[in-house]
Amino acid sequence: PRPDAAAFSAEAVAALALLWLLVCAPGDAGCHPLTVADLFDRVIRHSGRIHSLSTALYEKHFPSRDNELGRPARKCHTSGMLTPNGKEYAQKIPREELTQVILKLLQAWKEPLSHFNQHIEHHQELPDDSLSKAKQISNMVHELKTGVEKVTEKMQSMGIISNSLNGMASSEGTGLSISNEANMMSDSDFIHCFRRDSNKVQSYLKILKCRIMPENSC
Amino acid sequence: MDLWHLLFTLALICANDSLSADDDLLQWPQISKCRSPEMETFSCFWTAGNLYNLTVPRILQLLYKKSNEEDWKECPDYVTSGQNSCYFNASYTSVWTPYCVQLASKNEVYDKKCFSVDEIVLPDPPVHLNWTLLNTSQTGIHGDIQVRWDPPPTADVRKGWITLEYELQYKEVNETKWKELKPRLSTMVPLYSLKTARDYEIRIRSRQRTSEKFGEFSEILYVSFSQIGIGCDHCTEEVEFPWFLVLVFGVCGLAVTVISVMLSKQPRLKMLIFPPVPVPKIKGIDPDLLKKGKLDEVNSILACHDNYKTQLYSDDLWVEFIELDIEDPDEKNRASDTDRLLSEDHLKSHSSLGAKDDDSGRASCCEPDIPETDFSASDTCDATSDSDQFKKAAEKEEDLLCLDRQDNDESLPSLANTDLQRQHRNTQSENSHPWAPFGNSVESPHLSVHTQVSNQNSLASTDFYAQVSDITPAGRVVLSPGQKSKLGRAQREGCTEQNFTMDNTYFCEADVKKCIAVTSHEENEPHVQEQGYNEDAYFTTESLTTTVANLGASTAAPPSSEMPVADYTSIHIVQSPQGLVLNATALPVPDKEFNVSCGYVSTDQLNKIMP
Repeated sequence: PRPDAAAFSAEAVAALALLWLLVCAPGDAGCHPLTVADLFDRVIRHSGRIHSLSTALYEKHFPSRDNELGRPARKCHTSGMLTPNGKEYAQKIPREELTQVILKLLQAWKEPLSHFNQHIEHHQELPDDSLSKAKQISNMVHELKTGVEKVTEKMQSMGIISNSLNGMASSEGTGLSISNEANMMSDSDFIHCFRRDSNKVQSYLKILKCRIMPENSC
Repeated sequence: MDLWHLLFTLALICANDSLSADDDLLQWPQISKCRSPEMETFSCFWTAGNLYNLTVPRILQLLYKKSNEEDWKECPDYVTSGQNSCYFNASYTSVWTPYCVQLASKNEVYDKKCFSVDEIVLPDPPVHLNWTLLNTSQTGIHGDIQVRWDPPPTADVRKGWITLEYELQYKEVNETKWKELKPRLSTMVPLYSLKTARDYEIRIRSRQRTSEKFGEFSEILYVSFSQIGIGCDHCTEEVEFPWFLVLVFGVCGLAVTVISVMLSKQPRLKMLIFPPVPVPKIKGIDPDLLKKGKLDEVNSILACHDNYKTQLYSDDLWVEFIELDIEDPDEKNRASDTDRLLSEDHLKSHSSLGAKDDDSGRASCCEPDIPETDFSASDTCDATSDSDQFKKAAEKEEDLLCLDRQDNDESLPSLANTDLQRQHRNTQSENSHPWAPFGNSVESPHLSVHTQVSNQNSLASTDFYAQVSDITPAGRVVLSPGQKSKLGRAQREGCTEQNFTMDNTYFCEADVKKCIAVTSHEENEPHVQEQGYNEDAYFTTESLTTTVANLGASTAAPPSSEMPVADYTSIHIVQSPQGLVLNATALPVPDKEFNVSCGYVSTDQLNKIMP
């Protein structure tokens, strides 16, 4: 487990907070609007921290048992979502769709994470530092979602992607039903699933960024 | 043919059995690892084990299954990754999907593993390592280089699909231990301060940013400065900074300096470097004396102290002795203490005992051992005369006052002292002179001003300490009646029974009165009538609790607030050990407020009553 994961998260909170301060409407005096590239960098870093944190949490409490004679495949509540499972697919689907997938994923985890927080608080299964990490994760996911929404708005305003991201309303509905499944999962499955999905989000963001801005350190 | 085959097999079996019945070495086939170098493809590797299929060579198969499937499928590619491997290309790879693979032969399953591709990412090693010289030191002994490399070609870092971290390790050629640098994202790193005379080896490995495991090491890069012509063949072994010599010489120099300073005759220099630590000391007084309560000695020493010499001479009344005629009720009725004190006649009559305006007594002051028997004629050291008295009177000299007894319990002893000390410091330093030495010693018993009570009639009882209880802002010393140390044990005990409600500096007067009352019972000394506090000619402050010595049994009346309160008198001059110059103005009798309040009198209140 990374010892600096916690530091990352603290840093991330600060960074993301700064992000929102600086994202301002054009024309505001004394405001330095961030470029899309900067915004992307920040959300990518944030998602990376989330992934590190969840990996640390997972490996500490549910150490990987690679050599186990098979284990039943975990059923994550987001398994039903159609997400690109490879690089090519991620590169092929339209940007809007990719963006939407990211947002859907983040939305799908919002509720379950808050429930998870309450659950672990009451059950005291995890030690304190893990407890704090878990709480951090749910905060960070919320921030990340806000961040991605902001990036999306920016992209839409700049015409990079079209304004057809109106499927969010429907995804809200499905999100609720999905989150009910999430409550049934065990803790280890929950964290494992989240870790996987956080890696997804991070990869998608990276791909999206390099698709939109291929020249920027891609 | 089959028969031969069978015989051969049997022979082998027998041979095997005879040669080694060691089943422990039997290794089953197992999957050693599954690895994805770039999160787009993956391969699984296994070991065949030494379980030879004796009859028919078993064919190991790798079957796989995705999480949402039911059937096991066979490995699509046994070749690409080498012997005993299975390669899944991009079309067969779904990254975040759980896979299960199993190693099986026709009927048996030897091993099984489940994973998802994003968990098994182990990148390839970086490629194209090279180094360039940044600069060398002036002596040419050290140099800095910059090492560069390329990410593994398989990993698609360009599209951002995977982010890699690199860890560089280097060492000298003939060393065994590798030095590691922290993992970093960039593909170049400087190495500083390498010795140009030596050759180095460098290797790098990479890992996915969010994972813990590193991939394989790259090929080793050899760094040799001589190749580029800056090798320093003639360089001697580097001279390390002679820390040891520096330390030794530094210590010697410092020691020499210190010794020279200490021995130097220059007091200024000495003072500068070794400033004298101010120690609050009374010259000639051993604090132990104060602790032990050897008051006579202390008094004698104090009497000889220079500070006793008064600095103020005025036309005010100069009292050398404060006499008490405690056995004379008429006298008491006649006048209050203040009157007595303030009236010149009275004083003169008393001061005749010792109000000699000469130094006759002073010379003898400096011999504390000289006992002074003639008390009345003593213009000599109070200390000596008093010491006599004390010696006669008391066996236990530790307890000056009933309050003394409380020393252990409460912080009384310090009250007057500290208070006094404070007042001294705050108000007039002149007046505080005599008292300053006292104030410093917290442990000392109460600061007592020796008031000569030269009542010859009352031998022992004429010795009184007047405790300086306060210094007014105006600079006057306010005394409180002291208690003789002659008080017996009973008195002390009586006092200890009291529960003194006190804060740091003041006692509840009522409590003290009780103490006084109690003690007065056991007082064996010459009868001291109580008339308020007047009789003892003590200068009491209302607030201070003092146990008045010599309170006679007649004063067994419980102390009450109706007891007349003594007048205040302030000491105007302190005249060496001879006595005190009292202020002419009498203080108004404290009000009831003081009586009632069982607390302390604040300075403000005091100021109200003080002129």
